[in-house]
Amino acid sequence: MVFAEIFEHLAFGLSVALTPTNVLFLLIGALVGMVVGLFPGFGPAAGIAILIPMTFGLDPTTAIIMLSGIYYGSMYGGTITSILINTPGESATVASTLDGYPMAQQGRAGPALVMQAIASFVGGTLGVILICGFAPLLANFASSFGPSEYFLIIMLGLLLLTTMMGENRLNGIISALFGFAIAMVGVDSVSGAQRYTFGSPELIGGIYFVPVAIGLFGIGELLYCIYTGQHKRENERVQFSFRSRDFWPTTKDYISSRFTFVRGSIIGFVAGVLPGSGATIGSILAYSVEKKVADDPERFGKGEMRGLVAPETANNAASAGAMVPLISLGIPGSGATAVLLGALMMWGLQPGPMLIDSNPDLVWGLVASMYMGNMILVALSILAIPLFVKFLDIPYRLVVPVIVILCVIGAYALNNSIIETSMLLIMGVVGFGMKLYGYSPAATVLALVLGGMAESTFLQSLIISQGSLAIFVERPISLVLTLVMLSTLGLSLALRIYKKARRNKQPEVNCEHAK
Amino acid sequence: MSLLKKFIALPVLAATLATSMSVASELDYPTKRLNYTIAFGPGGGNDLMSRTVVDILKKYKFYDKTIRVDNLAGGSGAVGFNYVAQQQGNPYHLTSTSGNFLGTPLVSNTGWTYQDFTPIGLLAQDAMFIVVRADSDFQSASDFVEYAKHNRVTIGGTGAAGPERVVASLFAEAAGFDYDYVPSQDGGGMVTSLTSKSVDAIVANPSEVSGQITAGNFRPLAYSESQRSTVYQDVPTFKEQGYDFAFSLPRGVVMPSEVDPAVQQWWVETLQKVVDTPEWQDYLTTNSLSGNTVWGEDFAKNLAATNADFKRVLTQIGAIK
Repeated sequence: MVFAEIFEHLAFGLSVALTPTNVLFLLIGALVGMVVGLFPGFGPAAGIAILIPMTFGLDPTTAIIMLSGIYYGSMYGGTITSILINTPGESATVASTLDGYPMAQQGRAGPALVMQAIASFVGGTLGVILICGFAPLLANFASSFGPSEYFLIIMLGLLLLTTMMGENRLNGIISALFGFAIAMVGVDSVSGAQRYTFGSPELIGGIYFVPVAIGLFGIGELLYCIYTGQHKRENERVQFSFRSRDFWPTTKDYISSRFTFVRGSIIGFVAGVLPGSGATIGSILAYSVEKKVADDPERFGKGEMRGLVAPETANNAASAGAMVPLISLGIPGSGATAVLLGALMMWGLQPGPMLIDSNPDLVWGLVASMYMGNMILVALSILAIPLFVKFLDIPYRLVVPVIVILCVIGAYALNNSIIETSMLLIMGVVGFGMKLYGYSPAATVLALVLGGMAESTFLQSLIISQGSLAIFVERPISLVLTLVMLSTLGLSLALRIYKKARRNKQPEVNCEHAK
Repeated sequence: MSLLKKFIALPVLAATLATSMSVASELDYPTKRLNYTIAFGPGGGNDLMSRTVVDILKKYKFYDKTIRVDNLAGGSGAVGFNYVAQQQGNPYHLTSTSGNFLGTPLVSNTGWTYQDFTPIGLLAQDAMFIVVRADSDFQSASDFVEYAKHNRVTIGGTGAAGPERVVASLFAEAAGFDYDYVPSQDGGGMVTSLTSKSVDAIVANPSEVSGQITAGNFRPLAYSESQRSTVYQDVPTFKEQGYDFAFSLPRGVVMPSEVDPAVQQWWVETLQKVVDTPEWQDYLTTNSLSGNTVWGEDFAKNLAATNADFKRVLTQIGAIK
């Protein structure tokens, strides 16, 4: 039953996606995405945001296929820098540096790059198959989502966001609150009264999140790189030969990591489906699980193939998984899908439960293009590895002005309006400050997107229930979501208290572990 | 139009120009390039309508000079409309109206209102349906009113101070019932608030719910224009069912103020030709807009009436003081 559905949807999607135009734009998107992914700080979110204006004037299906090509391409590209020069292009490839870079140092850059391409392909492909099997199921389920259910699922996303912030929780929370503050600007969602607009018509529509995202991620990262003197540094060259046997992974590599592919894909997909979690959590989770189940955990972090395969399958499966809440609920699971959501809305499409019914060609075309994108990218990465290494030799000081110009043009072209450009530059400076002092721009952008939705759905729920909070436990789905949320919160609190207690009891044991 | 076609079309255009003189012999118009300003970004409803009008003007050579189209977005239309308003007396500026043409000046200090423009015509009506679930007991607007008079009802719509809320308010006022308005942030959220049985009814643009109506999930009870929609002819209006009000957003064309009345008349006649083309009919059907038109000074009266309703409801809910 499920298999028949998977096949049917994939076949329909391929019939939409497999036109010469779509394949061409997918190829362009994948290539451009890969190049963008090579720049530090330019992950999928910034890549898509900058390149959205390029897709204006295209047919929506073609445009969204191209954007998903960029999405996937930058996931592939980001890993290349992680492995070669220990610089993750974005947060989801941080885990890949742990074993990828040691492999490169040991002269195994070839096998590492090839394997990351294969791992990404497997993760992405399994992710697409899981979407085809379960997205319609989730979409039907989503029709029973009213404002109260939406609110709870957004809260769940915001809760998982705190786990994404890593060590410095206080900075993470401040970053998120900054995002909420930006979301407040505009028109009150119930009374229609203006808030923080200071009477200016420019701010009535609120602050658009795309210039905020490009500013915080893109310009902020560039300023930071200049601040740390990266533009003066000589690029490190990594030597390897394309034809030699050293280029390809060994049979032993494949055999040792065969289950890693499956585990990484499933963990990544599930993490991707949960809003607010996404590829970063998926890749870190997959890495830690892989290390836990291994007989020889001491090999991890020293150039172990499984340590590269796990996060790479996971982050690509997660980017497929993140499409599920996006197309079936209209809720972005990550920064990149948040930008995609904005793009869909710009074309007058309404991501949400009805998208699969109202635009099946778009949805399945998109899913099939992800599958095709994976095939194109696995071939591209392997063929282009030597080329991308050359690209990294371009001095940073020549690359920076080009990126700034692209960002400014991108922000201006969104609305043909200078307001967005000013916003971009202000956010660039803010983003630099955030990077410098260890705040989380990702938390800000997600809070900006989710904050407005949370406020509006909360108020809608209270209007419906006449101010009673009982609405969050009376409806069956709401009750389940409330319980999940409370148990997540309770569990993480309990775990923290337990760890703290243990740390206080046995400080000497922890010290030994650290050695 | 492809580049190749343009190269063929231009000489042809020039040839026809040389032979035929202007229709109104005493009026030497047009002699210059037309500037069509779109006060919103590319891809939105206003942009789509404006570009459809311009494409038809070009295709049928209704305007035989060049036409320049600019998206001048910002401040919910404030920037673009302000630019056109400042071109007083210039007969070579056109812009399209939509909900924000009335709404934005009401809620913020824009420096212009609809009265600072010369009205040409209302080309399409963007009116609303009130929609219920197909499995509900409401078969007509009067069923709903009867229920609402004795029970608490919730009506959903997109946005806090938009046309959906105005229609819900006017309906409740005309029928004499109380309701709570549940504002969704977007069309998708509004539709799921009804499918998930969170609200009793929604006020929605036909294009947002036509899929659900066709699928048999939703039932439209009434339409907010004064006449039936040219696209959904079987849905009765509120007026027909005894609730005396009408409200629709003006999808029309205006020019700067103090334009020569002869030029105004020239554009009324030209746009009347535009709405007769099959391209325009396609546009109306695809976008679920009603094609009932209003011209010249009648359009000005229509704008004034719509503006008054808008202002009254926005004041009632506290969005403006």
